[in-house]
Amino acid sequence: MTTATNQKAKEAYFTASQGQLIWARFKKQKAAMIAACVLLALILSGMFAPFLSPYDPTVAGRDKDYLNGAPQIPKFCDENGCSMRPFLYTVTRERSLATNFRWVEKINKDERRYMQFFVKGDDYKLFGFIPGNIHLFGMDEGYVHLFGTDSAGKDIFSRTLHAIWTSLQVGTMGVVISFVLALVIGGISGYYGGWLDSVIQMVTDAIRTVPAIPLFMAIAAFIPPEWSAETRFFFISMILGLIGWPTLARRVRTHLLTERNQEYVLAARLCGASPSHIIRRHLLPSFTSYIIVDLVISFPYMVLSETALSFIGLGLKDPVNSLGVMLQNVTKADVLLNYQWYFIPVIFFIALVMAFVFVGDGLRDAADPYSETRK
Amino acid sequence: MFQFARFAATRAVMALITLMIVSLVVFSLMELVPGDCAERYLAYKNTQGSAITLADIEAERVRLGLDRPFLTRWASWLSGAFRGEFGDSCILRVNIAQLLGDKFWISLWICLGSLILAYAIAIPVGIISAASRNALLNNSLRIVSYLGLAMPNFLLALMIMLVSTVYFGETLTGLFSPEYKDAPWSWDKFVDLLSHAWLPIFILGWSATAFALQTVRALMSDEIGKLYVTAAEARGIHGVRLLWRYPARHSLGPIVNSLGFDLNRIFNELPIVALILTLTEAGSLLLESLARSNDQQLAGAIIFLLTASIVTLNFLTDMLLAVIDPRVRKSILR
Repeated sequence: MTTATNQKAKEAYFTASQGQLIWARFKKQKAAMIAACVLLALILSGMFAPFLSPYDPTVAGRDKDYLNGAPQIPKFCDENGCSMRPFLYTVTRERSLATNFRWVEKINKDERRYMQFFVKGDDYKLFGFIPGNIHLFGMDEGYVHLFGTDSAGKDIFSRTLHAIWTSLQVGTMGVVISFVLALVIGGISGYYGGWLDSVIQMVTDAIRTVPAIPLFMAIAAFIPPEWSAETRFFFISMILGLIGWPTLARRVRTHLLTERNQEYVLAARLCGASPSHIIRRHLLPSFTSYIIVDLVISFPYMVLSETALSFIGLGLKDPVNSLGVMLQNVTKADVLLNYQWYFIPVIFFIALVMAFVFVGDGLRDAADPYSETRK
Repeated sequence: MFQFARFAATRAVMALITLMIVSLVVFSLMELVPGDCAERYLAYKNTQGSAITLADIEAERVRLGLDRPFLTRWASWLSGAFRGEFGDSCILRVNIAQLLGDKFWISLWICLGSLILAYAIAIPVGIISAASRNALLNNSLRIVSYLGLAMPNFLLALMIMLVSTVYFGETLTGLFSPEYKDAPWSWDKFVDLLSHAWLPIFILGWSATAFALQTVRALMSDEIGKLYVTAAEARGIHGVRLLWRYPARHSLGPIVNSLGFDLNRIFNELPIVALILTLTEAGSLLLESLARSNDQQLAGAIIFLLTASIVTLNFLTDMLLAVIDPRVRKSILR
């Protein structure tokens, strides 16, 4: 019996595709699996941000009676008894001569506002084209701000979810552009070798030597101020991609340089295959897994660059919600001392970067065929 | 020996060519920024009340030599740059060499300090992480190292400053205590600098650790499964000695080779940290000149000096690798 199952397991092992093997090895790593779950949750919450967030993240969804408001956590129980439906109290804020012109909050514990699910709210377009107005949760009256509000009264919870999606989009575009460039340039350089390789490597090294932030800033300074937020957004992702390729190109080249002298390449060449056919059908598949790993690893750096750029004030700007824009908001001393809930998006940012890095490490180990023999 | 000299000479020439390509890129970027020196000077005059015409601008351009072709101007700028002469800044109207003073060297040393710190953490942690079976130790070391990447630099700087101001009553901003600000270099001034510089070095070093760690870990994981390691283990070598003498030696080669680019990466982060800690050094000056005042001459000079340092570092590490790594040495002396 056991030999039969053993046999089956062995057979499954030997007939498994590369993807299945990588997945099997990846599953064994606890840290990477946790990171993958976090990452998936973040990506999904970014993807369905319009549905999950109760309000529009722009000024359209602002709560003008609750500026710089603290987070509101719905409760189930209080001294007046419990309810199945989470509720909040009614809050009245007042600022007048009597309160020395400061906002003073008065919580009315007898007036409960109840949370509703699948409520109709602000209109949105899911994935940019599916129109809808149903939100996962909302209030029967008034607003709910899980993470508080900012100085314009925008809901920070809604903004954070939308920001994750924007940053992921910028990162993806940057990675895709740099990936295509790296593949073409590194591929040519590694496959042909010789003087062409030397020239390309010199240019690559020169580009890697130019410090990126000043380059970003110089290019970003050209963005005409009248460009809309969306155009700006595409331009920034393009810049990120155009500057990020050299590292990946070098890895592709190094790998090709070692692979191109293998017997199977010689065999293909003797059969009369064209260079582009050999690169596409034989060489690239030999290290797809490495490329995927590299992509995952370079992703957080793209997100970080976007944040850095937005932080200096040259990247994305306020109507667009990106993590960089959100981080920019926490740098004021005022915020540090009085409005600590502005920091909540930072936690999401850290989680996103950490998740990517750990998944990248896990994938790297999983894609390495020798990792199993070692342990 | 002759072959080594030839190798060094080829490398030096290649480094110079790289530097020239980069300087061309930098110079073109400077040129692309709208407005030139002639317009700046005359715009200033205009604010002082004298009326100016288009002919005035043209005349000023001729006076400053801005009417010459692009490549000629680049060549003269480059030859000046190699002599350490960057001309005057049109915005601040001060000689750039004088404006920069020691600031660039301070920035460079801060970056180098961070680089050393990053690898001092990344190499041991990377080796442990690739070789250890202790998941708890491994994961906690990695979390701490990667946190440096995930925590935005400026936030870390702000938090440390806030804590030190609120709880210790000591502001950690700036690079010098007031009494040393304009004093000539002395041992005391150096110590004073160190007592301030540890914070940017710590912040930058921590965030650079993540990338270094990923590289070390990847290279170690590749090497550690190879047969020569098993062979050495079979001969009875084990533990730290095995790791350090066999796979680590192989995997550290490529790292030495990319130190220059790591320096570049660290310098990228310097301006933001410098801005928050109000450091008077070249990084914040660069940010200032690029983002605020559009001072092309100053920005160009700083970027050129930085790229020159990176190219020099790359050249030195190439030489170092050739001296210490027998494989590279053999391939040169063949």
